[in-house]
Amino acid sequence: MTEESSGRTFWGRLAAWGPYHALMRLTTASPRRQFLILAAFPILWVLTQHLGPMLQMIRVSLTDAYPVAQGVEQNFTLDNYARFFGDSIFWMPFFRTLIFAGVFTFCTLIITYPVAYFLARHVSRKNQMLFLLLLLIPFWVGEIVRTYAIMILLGNTGAVNLLLKSLGLIERPIPFMYTSFSMGVGIVYLTALYMLLPLYSALEKLPKSMNEAAADLGAGAWTRFRRVSLPLTIEGISSGCTLVFLISTGFYATPVLLGGPSTTVFAETIAGFFHVAGDEWPTGAAFATIMFAAALVLTATFQKLMSALRKGEKQ
Amino acid sequence: MNDRPELFRGNRIFLACVYWAFVLYVFVPLILMVVMGFKDSKFIGFPIRSWTLDWYTGVFADAEVLSTFGYSTAIAVLSTLISVFVGIWIAVMLEGRRFWGRTAVFGMTVLPALVPGIISAIAFRIYARWLGIEPGMGAIVWAHAVHNVPFVVLVVMARLSTLPRSQIEAARDLGADPLISFIRITLPYLVPAILGASIFCLLLSFDDFVRSFFLGGYEPTLPVLIFAKLRSGMSPEINAIATIALILTAAIGIWAERFTRRMNKET
Repeated sequence: MTEESSGRTFWGRLAAWGPYHALMRLTTASPRRQFLILAAFPILWVLTQHLGPMLQMIRVSLTDAYPVAQGVEQNFTLDNYARFFGDSIFWMPFFRTLIFAGVFTFCTLIITYPVAYFLARHVSRKNQMLFLLLLLIPFWVGEIVRTYAIMILLGNTGAVNLLLKSLGLIERPIPFMYTSFSMGVGIVYLTALYMLLPLYSALEKLPKSMNEAAADLGAGAWTRFRRVSLPLTIEGISSGCTLVFLISTGFYATPVLLGGPSTTVFAETIAGFFHVAGDEWPTGAAFATIMFAAALVLTATFQKLMSALRKGEKQ
Repeated sequence: MNDRPELFRGNRIFLACVYWAFVLYVFVPLILMVVMGFKDSKFIGFPIRSWTLDWYTGVFADAEVLSTFGYSTAIAVLSTLISVFVGIWIAVMLEGRRFWGRTAVFGMTVLPALVPGIISAIAFRIYARWLGIEPGMGAIVWAHAVHNVPFVVLVVMARLSTLPRSQIEAARDLGADPLISFIRITLPYLVPAILGASIFCLLLSFDDFVRSFFLGGYEPTLPVLIFAKLRSGMSPEINAIATIALILTAAIGIWAERFTRRMNKET
């Protein structure tokens, strides 16, 4: 301690060093100036790096050519947006994506809710982390590797078909692959944990006494779930569904690998504009903007609805 | 635990079955994939009649695959360093005093984490072109760094909110300026959060496909390589590559989980 106060340590010497001292005096002269210096870099960063790409995408979507060739004038236009509505080859995948994402989100919710419920309510505190960690392990494995694992599971010579065949249930393998079913299995597999964690933390906060009180008053298991657990975990359901919906609309590799020609999603449509050498970027940007806007509007409406439901339950 | 288990026993057995069925659902595909890497045949599919280690030894002899591992690791490390540096700075600013427009800044901070994958990749692709960044390592590092910043900010902010303010005040009373008190008090307190966030960023970057795919040049990252190989047909070679990637990422994830938990308990 004495060493530090006498200023012989590195930090003490630094603080006493003339130029550093002057710089500190200058930058911390007033709380206002100090804050401006602290805030300048973060604000600049989020504006140019976080917001910038989105704004630039929207700007490009309103132009007729990008990147601009020399000597060609760049004009602003709404044609890229008009193109979307003009052809069913564009808006069919769009609506398919939104419907698929909605259905897959609902499936994820139905599958993970009992799992989260079991973890939060029926496993002792000491074991909860262990049981949760067990489920987190596959989560660390990447998107492509897990998609490939599903391909092996569901292929014509895959494990599921082998099992069904050896049980004598089928003679010919069922073609699971390249359908909306295989895509659904893959996407639920990838997103399950984003649903599980918000549900788990919502259920964990729920006091156990509530369920016991309901049971004492004669409520059965289903009534207890519907009248006690469900209304009190709406917040967790709402944030889990929002997260999973947004993530499932953005998958590109999984639909390419697990889906077929009849399950083309909008991500594939958008990506198509960036693969070709031709000048299709503005259209791709417009389509991406449409999709982002639609996803935002849908999730915002959903959250409003859920919070209205929550308020209704409280009264 | 329920105080009166007899009330809930029926539910409990049902829910336990659902839980273990779910464990099977998340593990079985990965186990099958690992097993398939030992199959002594070019064709993916069951049943497996003879076994071999050739696919694995093949991976370690394949210079292209090995350099891809290195490339992905380098990208992960560089982007994590940037994300952590920027993320801490943003978190300290947001967790400090309240200011006008704080909600807007927070909203913009978490934006990259909420944008669906394909849209984020497209937006980065367009922006990189505008900035004049060529597709390749620099572009991927930049995109991963920006995408991962929100996760660092959220983890560090959570830790900052439990920082005992009295320690900072004591340091200031003893004459430490804001910078020195940050480096000597705040930063050491944040170490568990920083480590946890770093590991998370490393894994996110290492596993990322969509941004690497759209911003990459000729050299593929590991997920992009696996994707390209898959498009030209399934083979046990891919299983061997994927299994090695799986073991690496899962091991780092488990280790980090345990490590940060222990550190959080100690401090």
